[in-house]
Amino acid sequence: MAVRLPEVSVAEIGVTAVHDAAEIAAPRWRRDLELWLPAGFLALLVGACFLWPLIDHSLPSPVGGQLQNANVPPLSRGALFGTDNLGNDIFSRILYGGRVSIEVGLGANLIGLCLGGYYGVFAAFKGGLIEATMMRILDMFLAFPALILAIVVSQFLGPSELHVIFAISFFSVPAFARIARAQTLRLREQTYVTAARLSGRKDRAILFGHVIPNVVPNLLTFGLLGIPIVIIVEAALSFLGYGVPPPGPSWGNMLAVGQSYLSSNPDLVIIPAAFLIATVLSLNLVGDAVRDRWASR
Amino acid sequence: MAILGRRGAEGNPPGQIPVHVRVEVLFYAAEVGGGPPAPARRLAGERGSWTLGGHRIVTSVTLGAPAASTPPRRNRLLHAFASSPSLRVIGRRLLTAIPVLFGVSFITFSLLNLLPGDAASSLLGLNATPQELKALRIRLNLNEPFFTRFGHWFGNVLSGHFGNSLASGQSVTSILGQRVPVSIELILFAFVLSVAFSIPVAVLAARHPRGFVDRCSILVSMAGLATPNFVLALLASLVFALHLRLVPVLGYVPLRQNFWENIHSMVLPAATIAFGLFCTYTRLLRADIVEQLVAEDYITTARAKGVHPWVILVRHALRNSMFGLLTLIGLNLGTLIGGTVIIEQIFALPGMGQELIQAINNRDVIVVEGVVLLIAVVIVLANLATDLLYAVLDPRIRYGRSTS
Amino acid sequence: MTTAEAGRLAARDEHPAHQLRRFDDVTAPVLLDVNDLRVRFNGGGRVVRAVNGVSFSVAPGETLAVIGESGSGKTVTSRAVMGLLPPTAQVSGSVRFEGRELVGCSEKELRQVRGRLISMVFQDPARSLNPTMRIGAQIREAVRVHEKITRQQGRDRAIELLRMVRLPSPETRYVEYPHQLSGGMRQRVMIAIALACRPKLLIADEATTALDVTTQAQIMEMLLELQQEMGMALLLISHDMGLAASYTSEVAVMYAGRIVEGAATEELFERVRMPYTKVLLDAIPRIDRPSHSLLPVVPGRPPDLSDLADNCAFNPRCPRVTERCRVERPALEEHEPGHRYACFHPHRAEGE
Repeated sequence: MAVRLPEVSVAEIGVTAVHDAAEIAAPRWRRDLELWLPAGFLALLVGACFLWPLIDHSLPSPVGGQLQNANVPPLSRGALFGTDNLGNDIFSRILYGGRVSIEVGLGANLIGLCLGGYYGVFAAFKGGLIEATMMRILDMFLAFPALILAIVVSQFLGPSELHVIFAISFFSVPAFARIARAQTLRLREQTYVTAARLSGRKDRAILFGHVIPNVVPNLLTFGLLGIPIVIIVEAALSFLGYGVPPPGPSWGNMLAVGQSYLSSNPDLVIIPAAFLIATVLSLNLVGDAVRDRWASR
Repeated sequence: MAILGRRGAEGNPPGQIPVHVRVEVLFYAAEVGGGPPAPARRLAGERGSWTLGGHRIVTSVTLGAPAASTPPRRNRLLHAFASSPSLRVIGRRLLTAIPVLFGVSFITFSLLNLLPGDAASSLLGLNATPQELKALRIRLNLNEPFFTRFGHWFGNVLSGHFGNSLASGQSVTSILGQRVPVSIELILFAFVLSVAFSIPVAVLAARHPRGFVDRCSILVSMAGLATPNFVLALLASLVFALHLRLVPVLGYVPLRQNFWENIHSMVLPAATIAFGLFCTYTRLLRADIVEQLVAEDYITTARAKGVHPWVILVRHALRNSMFGLLTLIGLNLGTLIGGTVIIEQIFALPGMGQELIQAINNRDVIVVEGVVLLIAVVIVLANLATDLLYAVLDPRIRYGRSTS
Repeated sequence: MTTAEAGRLAARDEHPAHQLRRFDDVTAPVLLDVNDLRVRFNGGGRVVRAVNGVSFSVAPGETLAVIGESGSGKTVTSRAVMGLLPPTAQVSGSVRFEGRELVGCSEKELRQVRGRLISMVFQDPARSLNPTMRIGAQIREAVRVHEKITRQQGRDRAIELLRMVRLPSPETRYVEYPHQLSGGMRQRVMIAIALACRPKLLIADEATTALDVTTQAQIMEMLLELQQEMGMALLLISHDMGLAASYTSEVAVMYAGRIVEGAATEELFERVRMPYTKVLLDAIPRIDRPSHSLLPVVPGRPPDLSDLADNCAFNPRCPRVTERCRVERPALEEHEPGHRYACFHPHRAEGE
């Protein structure tokens, strides 16, 4: 939900452009660390969320816990993170909740990338009135705060993970479309597109052959940075009760439950919060690193 | 003759006498090798010819009437319009905003009326009798075709009638009247806090890039941007309300009742929202200021004048960064409003966001329509206002090109 | 030559600082004394030696042009004098102004010098002025840094300066923004700012390169008149030999971070010695050459300043190169009275 910002770019030292040089490039190992450490964490997380339940058969189910086991503290026998107020194993809920976050994050962004990307490229390529109309329509959707749009759609459809993905697409598609259009506009001005058009190639061929291959890398980078945003919105939706319906696990759900028990059992909040923050932070770092590397090409 | 070019220039030399002088200078280019192309070296010509060390530099001057006639006088109205670029920008933006506003209303209505499921039965629940359902359908005009209903609704909206709540019967306008001020206070409070802290921190960070303050602020910003505001709200509640007991966990005291109590109850929610904004603004300002200090020539000029670094930072760099900040603030308003929805819910503040959630839970379509429309319109107008403010404040747009 | 022109030349020739002046005559009073100045940039693992032992001096009221291509180190030299280099630069050597050493001074001390004793005018007036600040405010700032004045005094002073640089309707200009002025006018404003505190030395770093030819002439004219009125020394940095020819009494030619030739202007043009300088002058097209004759150009590129060897830096491109030039670096010495150059095989015109 927050806007990501570019870092100050490192300037090359030129002999005559004396005032350009300001910051020496950060050491190589540090930049690599900033990419691979969070990427490693993410890989571990994804692996754990999807594979652990398959491999470890002694993992308790995330739902259907028993009340007598309720509120067991973390690091107890049989419950790594303890249990919640209903006796559900928190570790298991974290893993399954992670699945939800990842699925929604990827799903909504993929839809946005494909649909929104094509929309934006098409609009920019056509230009003129078509483009103007298409972009105005987009502006209308972008006028709604993402969360509110998602809440409205999700509630009226009924809470479920799939509905959440659909609801979030309402703002991920316009977001991608905007970026795609901006990129395409830049490309459109370049000579080789004009050359292709003049040489009589059909619009569609140019679109797929020239424009899209150049726009996709940018969209992918944007998509990478968009995943954490979607994950946050999903968590917010679930927190408010419009996302994955309880007792189904979602990090947002867990936080909602935790709110009621904040004074007695703060772990119920702290553990999912930690995972949420760590995941979003890692995604942000990886996204930044990828974008920096791509930009320096 | 190895003359590479001839350049004529016309102009009035600065001074009192309006003599029109045409100076024709024969200029020469010296390319030295295949390196980075040296710019064509123009030998400044003077009036006359000039010999120096065996090299001849010739210029010629002709006095006389200018060859081209003066450009035709512009149409007066057009001139007035053209000479105020602000007006043009404002006009254009207003025109674009109108269809967007219309579209926003249409989308709001469609969303709430096109979604699957019978509206009446979902409103009244499973226990509704067929008579009740029928009555509601008639009341809501659900029998009529979609566009007729939209027409009615839109007409009402334009005349200021947003309908009455299905749950309480109270008019939407009066509900909003009660709720909106609370949200506004929250938003303003958050905004003031965020800007008040981000400017000093950004300036301190920019003064010594990669120094202590800078590194700390980067870390804090990274963590802050990765934390959703509701998570931060819960954690902050845990620390400040429950453990430290500095502020109440829940509850709201109206402004009219007691000023300090009001602030006391709003501090935590506002700070939670403000923190996210603070992270964003600090990063932007710091990056923008450092960018200027490094790359902009007017900073070098200021240094060459002997201006103190702090003064350069504040008077030159920070001032110009404000534009970027302003844009960001305006564009962030949408996210800000979305954020207040959750925050109000968590802290039980009787604002617009809480009302929205309640109405959604009650399936109170009328209220939801009203609130969502209001929010969307506010955002569109805020974006418009940001654009306009930019146009008004940036002297390059305000004054345009001079005719001198 | 017009009478005004002849008069100006005569005035220049009669200037006391110019009369008995040799290039580094130690008996004349010296305002700026640069000695073995070296500037290195460390970055990204490479070391770029931008300036490699530059020595020159400027007397009060004198005009010196430092000519060189891009990459010769002339801009870095001028910035080093003012202490305006980025923190990644390492400066060694000596820059003495009125006997006071500037290299190694603290920022605070340098701020006393900048604007008040030494001023600078930069190349691109469009970017050198803050676009969101009015002209008047920017000029006032230049004065306020060094003198305590009221707002009204500042305004008067600014308008007086604007008048001095021959800007029409200075009162209007005072409240305008930079983008409302043309390029030439902006550069005049820059000059006004530079002259605000009556500095003793003005450094003009490619001050007219970004302007069109006519404006260039006007600005240079005005600059020279002001310089003479105020008895100010002028250090002109440029790639344009013609500027040196027209406006300064001394010239130094730089190549690869070093001065390779230095003399009084007329001396240099009439008895050019360095093959590099000769080639620069030769490349200027002349009217008395046959039409369509080929323009003599120098092959090759300026050297990479991170990769300098201990030889004559010009050797790959020199028409008079020998083996000695590739292994040994010629020293800059005053081989003839008032004429320094660094070459083993200097050019000599026929009949010398």
